[in-house]
Amino acid sequence: MHKLPASPLLPALTALLLTIAAGVSVIAFQTQKPHPGERIYRQQCASCHGAKGEGAKAYPKPLTGTQSVEQLADFISKNMPPGPKKCSVPDSKQVAAYIHAAFYSPIAQARNKPPRIELSRLTTRQYCNAVADLIGSFRPAPAQDERRGLRGEYFRSRTFRNNEKQIERIDPAVDFDFGREAPAKEGFDPRLFSIRWEGSVLVPETGEYEFVLRTQQAAALWLNDMRKPLIDAWVKSGNDTEFRGSLFLLGGRAYPLRLEFSKAKQGVDDSNQTKNQPVAPASISLLWKPPHRVVEPIPQRSLIPSRGPEVYVVSTPFPADDRSMGYERGTSVSRAWDEATTEAALAAGDYITEKLPELAGVSENASDRRQKLRSFCRLFVERAFRRPLTDDLEKIYVSRPFDTAPDLDTAVKRVVLLTLKSPRFLYRELESGKPDAYTTASRLSFALWDSLPDRELLQAAAEGQLSTYEQVRKQAERMGSDPRTWFKLREFLLQWLKVDLYPDLVKNPKSYPGFDEAAASDLRTSLELSLQESVWSERSDYRELMLSKKVYLNGRLAKIYGVNLPPDAGFQPVLLNAEDRAGVLTHPYILSSFAYLDASSPIHRGVLVSRSFLGRVIQPPPVAVAPVAPDLQPNLTTRQRVEMQTKPPACMSCHALINPLGFPLERFDAIGKLRTQEKGKPIDSSGSYLARNGKTVSFSNAVDLGRFLSESDEAHAAFIEKLFQYTTKQPIRAYGPSTITKLQQDFRANQFNIRKILQEMVAVSASGS
Amino acid sequence: MSELNTRREFLRNLGLGMAALPFITNLPCLASEQKQRKQRLVIIFSPDGVVPGTFWPDEEGENFTLKESLKPLEPYKKNTLLLHGVCDLIRGDGDNHMRGIGCLLTGIELFPGNIQGGSDTPAGWASGISIDQEIKNALQAKPATKTRFGSLEFGVMVPERADTWTRMCYAGPNKPVAPIDNPYQMFSRLYGREKDRESLKSVLDDLREDLNRIRQSVGTEDRRILEEHTALVREMELELKTNLSKNAVHPVPVIEPGVRRDNDNIPQISKLQIDLMVSSFMADFARVATLQYTNSVGQARMRWLGISEGQHDLSHEPDSNADAQNKLTRINHWYCSQIAYLVKRLSETPEPGGNGTLFDNTLIVWTNELGQGNSHTLDNIPFVLVGNAPNFKMGRSLKLKRVPHNRLLMSLAHSFGHHITRFGNPDFCGAGPLQLG
Repeated sequence: MHKLPASPLLPALTALLLTIAAGVSVIAFQTQKPHPGERIYRQQCASCHGAKGEGAKAYPKPLTGTQSVEQLADFISKNMPPGPKKCSVPDSKQVAAYIHAAFYSPIAQARNKPPRIELSRLTTRQYCNAVADLIGSFRPAPAQDERRGLRGEYFRSRTFRNNEKQIERIDPAVDFDFGREAPAKEGFDPRLFSIRWEGSVLVPETGEYEFVLRTQQAAALWLNDMRKPLIDAWVKSGNDTEFRGSLFLLGGRAYPLRLEFSKAKQGVDDSNQTKNQPVAPASISLLWKPPHRVVEPIPQRSLIPSRGPEVYVVSTPFPADDRSMGYERGTSVSRAWDEATTEAALAAGDYITEKLPELAGVSENASDRRQKLRSFCRLFVERAFRRPLTDDLEKIYVSRPFDTAPDLDTAVKRVVLLTLKSPRFLYRELESGKPDAYTTASRLSFALWDSLPDRELLQAAAEGQLSTYEQVRKQAERMGSDPRTWFKLREFLLQWLKVDLYPDLVKNPKSYPGFDEAAASDLRTSLELSLQESVWSERSDYRELMLSKKVYLNGRLAKIYGVNLPPDAGFQPVLLNAEDRAGVLTHPYILSSFAYLDASSPIHRGVLVSRSFLGRVIQPPPVAVAPVAPDLQPNLTTRQRVEMQTKPPACMSCHALINPLGFPLERFDAIGKLRTQEKGKPIDSSGSYLARNGKTVSFSNAVDLGRFLSESDEAHAAFIEKLFQYTTKQPIRAYGPSTITKLQQDFRANQFNIRKILQEMVAVSASGS
Repeated sequence: MSELNTRREFLRNLGLGMAALPFITNLPCLASEQKQRKQRLVIIFSPDGVVPGTFWPDEEGENFTLKESLKPLEPYKKNTLLLHGVCDLIRGDGDNHMRGIGCLLTGIELFPGNIQGGSDTPAGWASGISIDQEIKNALQAKPATKTRFGSLEFGVMVPERADTWTRMCYAGPNKPVAPIDNPYQMFSRLYGREKDRESLKSVLDDLREDLNRIRQSVGTEDRRILEEHTALVREMELELKTNLSKNAVHPVPVIEPGVRRDNDNIPQISKLQIDLMVSSFMADFARVATLQYTNSVGQARMRWLGISEGQHDLSHEPDSNADAQNKLTRINHWYCSQIAYLVKRLSETPEPGGNGTLFDNTLIVWTNELGQGNSHTLDNIPFVLVGNAPNFKMGRSLKLKRVPHNRLLMSLAHSFGHHITRFGNPDFCGAGPLQLG
């Protein structure tokens, strides 16, 4: 195990990182000779034009323009330098190529610009959360309830009469087969009973959820909208026993749920005449199919026994956000986006006017309806804009619609439309100069929650409680323990691990029996449980994330990975191959994702380590190369095949970095199961890394690699930069050149606590200018 | 979701070329319009049977006298076709009220289920599509007859529960279609996008003004994105202007506000729904419409007629109860007056882009789940046809000999050029569509 000397190197390291972040050179870490044109420029041109073409006394105009390299070369050879002796044609070409790439061209100009906090519109994620929270701010706050499961009430009647209630309890899940019996030995007639479950369902990620009811009896499910059932199977008709309904839901939120079940005939009550008839069987299961998963009973961890308010979900499709910098950002607008904002604003307006009695607390025929709706609208605009409303703005956004609309409902609709179309809602950082308290509040809430400031934060802003760094830090700490922060952190981790876009996890069923769609779905759950345990705990230790030997397994996965668990066992942490596992990189889901149908892929795994864990920038291969099929070289191990294929020098410029970072994971096959040999040959899991300080670190296996990543300053810096940019959606250098160094020191000082460093960086970004 | 889809469509249609399409296809100069006349079907349901003695004319043929229940149709007698002797022969699970409504337009049995009626075995939903949806699908399949909605399902005071007694239309087996009995909900379904356009237009000026103001206050580097944004707003404004001026062809109707969903408001709700149906035909939003008054076993209390008992309770009274029979006659007279109002509106409204009136191209079928309330018979189901359609010779009273109603349902499809050889239970389709020409 090699240790990197820590602090003395930091400045150099930081400088390197900065260069890489700016994208000046994609392989900046390799020692490079200066461009031949640079030498000529320095000798013959710099005295008049400045060292970087910025101009000098003799010729103060900066060297920028849109001429091509050849045009420039032609001009130089004919005109430069002034005087009789001109630059030779080959030299002119070299100089032209150099200045074009270094500072002359618009692209070079853009690249050299110091990074700054850019005016950005809300990303789609932020937009959906902001609208949900804006409308939600007029409803009671969701109850905090640590309990899991649903509240079940059992009645000995065909409907839900309180005096017939026999049982009230919390059920961990709804998955019951009563057979021909009653729910309890006493107090029920097995021919006739009814059950009502209530609570909330906690949704792990944004997307389309399919809910499934299985029953032979009458049942209906309400989800989010408590007035209209999502699944209405109260009328039993024909032989169907499975009923489905789909809903688009925002992740990280709890939605109210009610499930009613009745074992009885509906319509006219003839139970007196049927007392002696045979008892029919009864069962009921509540299942769901989360996005990219298989149908499964809704697990206990996703059910809450108390019911919160309805959540408004924007269901308008938005065009995808720009991810070219590695995080979603809103630095461009398009017609499709503008249309989506209109459509979404109109839909929100419809929803709000329909729910006015609830949201504005005003009845249809109240005498002061106009006045009450106006104050509601004023508050709505203020919360949408995240700052107090000036008289001027109130005139535009509230008074005018109320004065001109034909009726009050239309007036409210127009306020909503105008507000949600307004740049004051749609953009962040509209105020230039030093951030005021309200900008700070918005920066905090968008960084941690991708949403609007909550009431407490706005109040702090109003009372001047966000003026010192300590005050801001305190708010970040409060907000950092909210479940919404975990949701954002979770999204970050998944995109950092490059699995947010769901690789299609399919394996050869012959080589990996049992590894089917359901197993892949379970494995994903396992990864998320592991992440939650490592990162959302009090310790939240980055090193644990890199080194943990525990993997969550259930009965199905245990069988595949050779662990002894009952087949129906739920998810539980298991020490899996403790000698060889090291953290998230060796989680079977990650290893399976970065592998082929039948074989591991050291290249994909090595690229993941290089890019995500070490922050290295790698260019795509210079030429498209198809991997050598394993059956063409039946005697070679995967490692030998990769080494053979990437041998040419053109490949090695990158694969010298990639391959030895992937090889240490070779002890894990295409589904991340431990192996000691491949094709009868022992596994060679040795690898190495040429660090930015020029020293080579070698690894004999995944544990060595994990230990290196847990301790390496390079890895810490990469993690911090990526986390910072994902949360703020702005380049870290825009907050000053020393920000990353300072955060790295804090990270170390706080035992690499991820939650703490997140709060710290959010506070830094919120109070920076 | 359907609301959203229409809105999405609306936004996409903001583009000039697209926006003009629905208007262009309705212009008379277009060849498709001349080749084929527009044809519409309206099916209206009222519950609990009729009083045969005050409903059916004594005579057969072209010379007949309309009795008390049907008097409101007097002005349109020449366009009326009365079909006595059409029977709902579908049996199986469910009581007669359930089968009465569930098999009325589907012509096929109910699935076994858990809904227990006052007698017989429990049942579920119908096991087939209803004729209105069948014809709608056929019309929607052809570009020449495709409309924005295809069909519209209106209701008046339909109870807020979904069961066999409250559903008449089916998109397929086990797929009941809920009628919209709130006129304001129907209005926003039909005209929401036009209202949205008006709202959008009214706020864009202010939006642009504020965008300009903000643009001045941000740094020069950040202005670019706001300039692009402003350009998009301007673009939308221009398109809206063009679009709204085209809209003048079918102005958004103004409807009486604030009519609450209440038994005593049935007359106002009925009028609103009929007016909306006529407007939707003017805009050619749909060629098929249904209108369902309450439900099978409906309990409307027609206090506006001085009748305080519920209709279903009255319908159980024996023939000997003259007072009840008189009230039931007046109740059916009232339903008939609604049909007459619809006819009046249709016949006063010119066919947009065509000759004549809407009425010239519309066939109304008024029906019921029972022949008579106190016997719960499914024989002699009231089928009152008013209007104009190919293959239907109007102005007659026919006495048919116990023909299965499936055959009449087939005649409706054939009249639309949809030549199905069976509909619902094939056992009742043997002799093919009824020849009524």
